[in-house]
Amino acid sequence: MTIIFGFLAGMMLVSALGVVLSRNVVHSALFMSGSFLAVVGFFVMLSAPALAAFQLLIYVGAVSVVILFGIMFTQSPQVRSFSTIVNKQVWAGLAVALGVGGFLSYILATEDWGATEAGQGTRDVAAFGEYLLGVGPDSEIFAMLFQLVAILLFVAVIAAIVISRRKDTDIESASDVRDVGE
Amino acid sequence: MEFLNFLNQEPWRFILSFGVVLFLTLNLAAILVMGERKVAGYIQLRYGPNRVGPRGLLQPLADIIKLFTKENISPGKADLWIFLGAPIAMFIPVAAVWLVIPFAPGAVVADLNVAILFFVAVTSVGALGVIMAGYGSRSNFSLLGALRGAAQMISYEVPLILSLLGVVMLTGSLSLVDVVNAQGGGFWNWYFIVQFPMFIVFYISSLAETKRVPFDLPEGESEIVGGYMIEYSGMTWALIQAAEFAGMGLMAGITTTLFLGGWQPPLPFLDFGQFNWIWFGIKTALIMFTFQWIRWSLPRLRMDQLMDLGWKVLVPLTLVWLVITAGAMLVF
Repeated sequence: MTIIFGFLAGMMLVSALGVVLSRNVVHSALFMSGSFLAVVGFFVMLSAPALAAFQLLIYVGAVSVVILFGIMFTQSPQVRSFSTIVNKQVWAGLAVALGVGGFLSYILATEDWGATEAGQGTRDVAAFGEYLLGVGPDSEIFAMLFQLVAILLFVAVIAAIVISRRKDTDIESASDVRDVGE
Repeated sequence: MEFLNFLNQEPWRFILSFGVVLFLTLNLAAILVMGERKVAGYIQLRYGPNRVGPRGLLQPLADIIKLFTKENISPGKADLWIFLGAPIAMFIPVAAVWLVIPFAPGAVVADLNVAILFFVAVTSVGALGVIMAGYGSRSNFSLLGALRGAAQMISYEVPLILSLLGVVMLTGSLSLVDVVNAQGGGFWNWYFIVQFPMFIVFYISSLAETKRVPFDLPEGESEIVGGYMIEYSGMTWALIQAAEFAGMGLMAGITTTLFLGGWQPPLPFLDFGQFNWIWFGIKTALIMFTFQWIRWSLPRLRMDQLMDLGWKVLVPLTLVWLVITAGAMLVF
């Protein structure tokens, strides 16, 4: 178990360093998916297969793929690599990273984790979904948040379609274009 | 006997069965290549490969020896690590999903309680391999093929996942073992009857996910000469082909498990107990044959037709049928 943990932690750190240190955007994106894969491994180690599958599906299968897809669609090969990784935001970036890291370390160190235990979850999809949404006698706010996020995503998708929609002809009056948005 | 009991303990059982599944996947790919050529031959009124062994049955062996001895060439400007990693990134997800498929009662490598989620998650990683191959080759045809492949796989993942949900709702479980157990007692209990539109949508989406005709735009040998695999040769090309064909076998296996009752016999008195894997094999082989039949019968779609079919036909159809399924479950 310790060996596996060491391997996963090493993989995660190496790929995380690869993301920031590599000068090629595509390499960075691929390193990032490696780091996500290590997180999947951690979830599997903690007997949380559902969480692992979601992590794999959303981060490796969707986020990384869409990022790579975007890089290849939008940039010419010359722009994909930089000559240096140091730019003007290096101090601000360092401050933010240290702040977030310190905050997380403080939370992890002060919280009492003795009561939590890992285990195989339920097979019943209905119960699984209710746990996931936090729909219970005491916490219904979680489901409400889920609905709000769904509406937000819906609006974002429609907005993306409206923005990226190619205008039929440049000659047409502006009122026609505005009709598309409404 | 003691040795068998020893092998049945946990780390050894998993390692041994994983090896068996990997062996099965590689062989399946090799045999399917021959099957593809044979089916093509008979559909086009000729014999297909018939020189190596009786009726050409040893053709896969000859192919493998040829591919092993061929030189591995990579383009001079290629991004070598990505170029060589891509075939592996394509093959591993396909092999991994076979772990959760039940072959016979009790014969499943890993009985996960989230097996369907595992299938969906691991399949989605396959697009990463396609993009890696297209980028790593540093060739315009490769990049074009990879972009098409990624767009197609991302788009058709949506109807693929949505069409699974009906089965999940009826079973009330995400485990493939539970799904198969729920379809016992004859073919009228299989889900392809109550979930017929979902079955069709899943079938079409799995054709698109495996990039087979009529959805083979990423390869499109008559326009982009082979897409993302154009620069590969020898063993790396063989690995990509193995991933494609094993992926086709995998989709056939998942279709069988979800909609055609898995290893359940079609009629109750045909129950062979542990030997029920033969039913799984027959059904999977039939589905694979229909994949090949379609390949040699239909022309390729255009890109806009592909996207129209995915987003404007399949996704609304699955959503409507989900609502109908939920309503029927509420009433009955």
